[in-house]
Amino acid sequence: MGCVLRAEWTKARTSPGMSSLLATMVVVTVALSAAVAATADPLPGADLPKLGLTGVQLGQAVVAVFGVLVMGEEYATGLVTVTVTAVPHRAMVLAAKAAVVIGLVAAAATVAVAGCVLVGWLLVPTGAGVPTGALSSAAAGLHAEVPVPAAPSPDAVAVRPAVGSVLYLVLIGLLSLGVATSVRSSAVGVGIVLALLYVLPIVTAVVADPTWQRHLRQLGPASVGLAVQASTADPEIGPWTGLGILVLWAVGALLAAAILLARRDV
Amino acid sequence: MVFPSLLAHPTITVTGLHKRFGATTALDGMTFAVRPGQVTGFVGPNGAGKSTTLRIILGLDAADTGEALVDGQPYRALRHPLRHVGSLLDASALGPGRTARNHLLWLAHSQGLGARRVDEVLETTGLTSAARRRAGGFSLGMRQRLGIAAALLGDPPTLLLDEPFNGMDPEGIIWLRRLIRSLAADGRAVLLSSHLMRQLEDIADRVVVVGRGRVLADAAVGDLLTTVSDGRVTVRPVAPMAVGGGEAEAAAVAGAGALDVATAVLVDGGGSVLPAGDGSLVVAGLSAEAIAALLGRHGVPFSELTAHRATLEDAYLQLTEQAVDYRAPAVADRGVLPADAR
Amino acid sequence: MTAFARTLRAEWTKFRTVRGWVLASVATAALIVAFGLVPGMRGSCGKTGPGSECRLPVGPGGQEVSDSYTYFHQPLSGDGTITVRVGALTGLLPGDDPNQPRHGLAPWTKAGLLLRAGTVQGSSYAAVTTTGAHGTRLQYDYTHDLAGQPGGPGQPDTSDAAGGSSGTGSAGPRWLRLARTGDTIRGAESPDGVRWTMIGSARLPGLATTVQVGLFVTSPQYSGEVHRGLASGAFGGPSQATGTFDHLAIAGGWTGTAWQPDVVGGERDAVGDQLDGPATGAESVERVGDIVRLTGSGDIAPAVVGAAGLGVSLSQTLVGTFVGLIVAVVVGCVFGTAEYRRGLVRTTLLASPGRTRVLAAKAAVVGTVMFGAGLAAAAVVVVLGQRVLRGNGVYVHPTPTLTEVRIVAGTAALLALAAVLALGLGTLLRRGVTAVTLAIVLVVLPYLLAVTVLPAGPARWLLRVSPASAFALQQATPEYPQVANLYTPVNGYFPLAPWAGLAVLVSWVAVALAVAALALHRRDA
Repeated sequence: MGCVLRAEWTKARTSPGMSSLLATMVVVTVALSAAVAATADPLPGADLPKLGLTGVQLGQAVVAVFGVLVMGEEYATGLVTVTVTAVPHRAMVLAAKAAVVIGLVAAAATVAVAGCVLVGWLLVPTGAGVPTGALSSAAAGLHAEVPVPAAPSPDAVAVRPAVGSVLYLVLIGLLSLGVATSVRSSAVGVGIVLALLYVLPIVTAVVADPTWQRHLRQLGPASVGLAVQASTADPEIGPWTGLGILVLWAVGALLAAAILLARRDV
Repeated sequence: MVFPSLLAHPTITVTGLHKRFGATTALDGMTFAVRPGQVTGFVGPNGAGKSTTLRIILGLDAADTGEALVDGQPYRALRHPLRHVGSLLDASALGPGRTARNHLLWLAHSQGLGARRVDEVLETTGLTSAARRRAGGFSLGMRQRLGIAAALLGDPPTLLLDEPFNGMDPEGIIWLRRLIRSLAADGRAVLLSSHLMRQLEDIADRVVVVGRGRVLADAAVGDLLTTVSDGRVTVRPVAPMAVGGGEAEAAAVAGAGALDVATAVLVDGGGSVLPAGDGSLVVAGLSAEAIAALLGRHGVPFSELTAHRATLEDAYLQLTEQAVDYRAPAVADRGVLPADAR
Repeated sequence: MTAFARTLRAEWTKFRTVRGWVLASVATAALIVAFGLVPGMRGSCGKTGPGSECRLPVGPGGQEVSDSYTYFHQPLSGDGTITVRVGALTGLLPGDDPNQPRHGLAPWTKAGLLLRAGTVQGSSYAAVTTTGAHGTRLQYDYTHDLAGQPGGPGQPDTSDAAGGSSGTGSAGPRWLRLARTGDTIRGAESPDGVRWTMIGSARLPGLATTVQVGLFVTSPQYSGEVHRGLASGAFGGPSQATGTFDHLAIAGGWTGTAWQPDVVGGERDAVGDQLDGPATGAESVERVGDIVRLTGSGDIAPAVVGAAGLGVSLSQTLVGTFVGLIVAVVVGCVFGTAEYRRGLVRTTLLASPGRTRVLAAKAAVVGTVMFGAGLAAAAVVVVLGQRVLRGNGVYVHPTPTLTEVRIVAGTAALLALAAVLALGLGTLLRRGVTAVTLAIVLVVLPYLLAVTVLPAGPARWLLRVSPASAFALQQATPEYPQVANLYTPVNGYFPLAPWAGLAVLVSWVAVALAVAALALHRRDA
């Protein structure tokens, strides 16, 4: 296993797109967070840590691309035959790739999330804010005692949402790896992953029936996984339960990939 | 490293492989062995099952029944397979963005080898100067060299090379032939699949000819040539008066008569004769010397007397005649020309 | 055969001979249909026996309307004039806590003069009215709305409530006048009963000689947006208002008999109040000498979908479009990048050296295929999807046929253009995975952010400039400024008109194709 892991690490390290892809992930994540943090006009009581982590919504697409490419590129170039010839124990190849994805995505996601927390801290106005519009008037009293506008907001920093977001991105990377290995195509793989991440929440939002909405929310990988970002516990999905469901998604995808990889002719 | 030659057991044994892809039977009882110290040619028409066999040996595809063993084990059970078998299947199977050296480096790491071995095989294959260029920009010939470098990486006792001469320039072909011979001389087993019969004829010790998913012949090259050439001789008789510069027309008319005469003489002499259609005869069952003596004794002049030296190509074409399912009547010396070989 | 026709034919052969692409195109249509027909949502309309059918009154223009108000009226014949002073307007709004209503006026609370063909819901009318936050208005036949002066009796109370009070007009009592001449109604207003300003006139064609004329008060369903961090939502509920009138006078040819109180649309049953909402049970008419005090709830306006309305719009049955869109994007992109996989592009360009022509042919092929798939799927969903929902007891707003045609064709265009956008990106980037991701991020992510995360302002901006603007093609019900509602994408409302949204997407596609064509020319195959 050590050799295989080292080989996959060398492979990832020497793949020209990978480092720029992870850098892109960090940049777009922090950039979207900064844009939202700078333009947002959050109501008092708003979930500032979550607001500051909006960039994860975009960053996950790049993580999905990364996870998909780790295996999809091998199928695109035919390199997979060389890999499997060198390491005939195919589950081990997948495990090594999963380990590489975990390591690299965790590292990049830590940087990205730290960046988000920093911009959130610098840019998100303090909880009190100026009441805007009629709606805020009712709740304005709650935070009236901390009127420190334009100062870095400690409210915007919280540990669980930040750590959870890193774990979330790692799990999305693993899910993407599993899906791409199962379908043997990068383009199709990323289509499926992004359908799960982006289209399922839309369907959830548009479906007007509350029961269906709840079921979809409790199943969709994005909605369950991002529940960890909520500072105040989501009534429908606990933060760690949600991440646990996402773990099931990722493990399921990897298991399916491992079985298909072992059964199929390359 | 020198491997114990000849005495050793086969390094690859393929026994009764069957494989179907949907309605197509790819392998139908493929059985052969690859022995150390020899270059074994692996030939057959397109679709005969060569690549599928190689992929099954390397554990890429699974056989429906039968087994392929490498050093007595299934490939997928090998811990560091590249130390047992080096292989080149598809030279373009590489990450185009990675440099040649990095491509070899991750392969080396997967076998527990270090960067030094990478530099050695780069040197062996003459890629040292191109080692830090992106492999995606390589020509086909250079990719073949890189593929061979990868096959040599684990210093394996066995090599499987699928069409390694493709895309190589003449210099590269000469280099590769020497390399393959020297690998066999070290006592390694080399299985060399190729369409270029002339290449094989010079470097293969043995050939395995396959067709329709099974082995048609598995013999030493020399033995195969002997069976195929079968002592045939081509004779071109000429009319007596045409000898020494008659007009062409007269020669053709008289030649027809001369053919009949020569045929009668040779059949009487115990040979079997087939007209080749271009004014010559193909004779079997008589040696060239015997034919010359017979014709001389009966005063039949001839302008050509050629003993066939069968080529591997002839052997191949003859053996695969059935396999390519070509039913036109056999023409004298050429057997069948599978122009449409699939 | 022209060169382009030959290239087109070659590309079509290329497309239809790859089984995966054909299957994916069929899957695109199948997914849209499946999502449109899956019987997910349930409602109670028509499920609790006869009389429970959900039906909204239909206005003179054929559209569905809300028509509930408290009315103090009498029948009057011929031409004439009615004048009144609205002395005060107060109300109650739902708060964050549903059991704790707060004082305030909904922006479109109305109190004023109302002339109607009859008290049957949906009948033709014209009204001169003060409002909660939009000044004096002349409104008629539900969809027409003319602005008068800002300000009015409601203004002092709105300062901490509905927001957006313009404040340039004078606050305080307002005099209103409504005059009938044949089928023309003119409205005027005055701050003091002396200086009158004309607001405008309305024509109510075919108005009977005898009409109902009087005072009315109504206050619509109130809706507000809440943001809890990234979770945005809406809350709402019925509101009520009380208008105090005096100086009521009839003149011209009209001769009054006796005033008659009425609560129109207030006698809703159990299903009815789910339908039309605003019946609060507080409706009343009080008359003390010269002073009339009406308390009302409801609205006289076109019916809308969303927080301030009920039921769903046709667009909601087309949610499968997003899923189909992903497949279309993948197919479009792979149709472009497959050429680069194994150098097929070199063969292609040798066969037809006109590179732009090849790109155009590819775009035409994949665009046409996806248009066909989208057209078939959307037609099925639009025809059958609403039936399934209605069968489940869900109220689906009826959509005019022309709008249905636009939605079907629009969905098809959306899929086709998204596929062509992906093709352009695929050709440009030569990497399937990057192109698919970019296409999805451009087309789907803006919509997702707009419906889930972003506050209204950035959301609307995003849906004006991104390729997701084209989802406006699926908008089934129009947006009315005179009806306060959350006109959000999730309810099926888009900031751009359908054709403007289409134009935005077309521009994106054009740019992507142009850059791809340029790149194809510049670089070696």
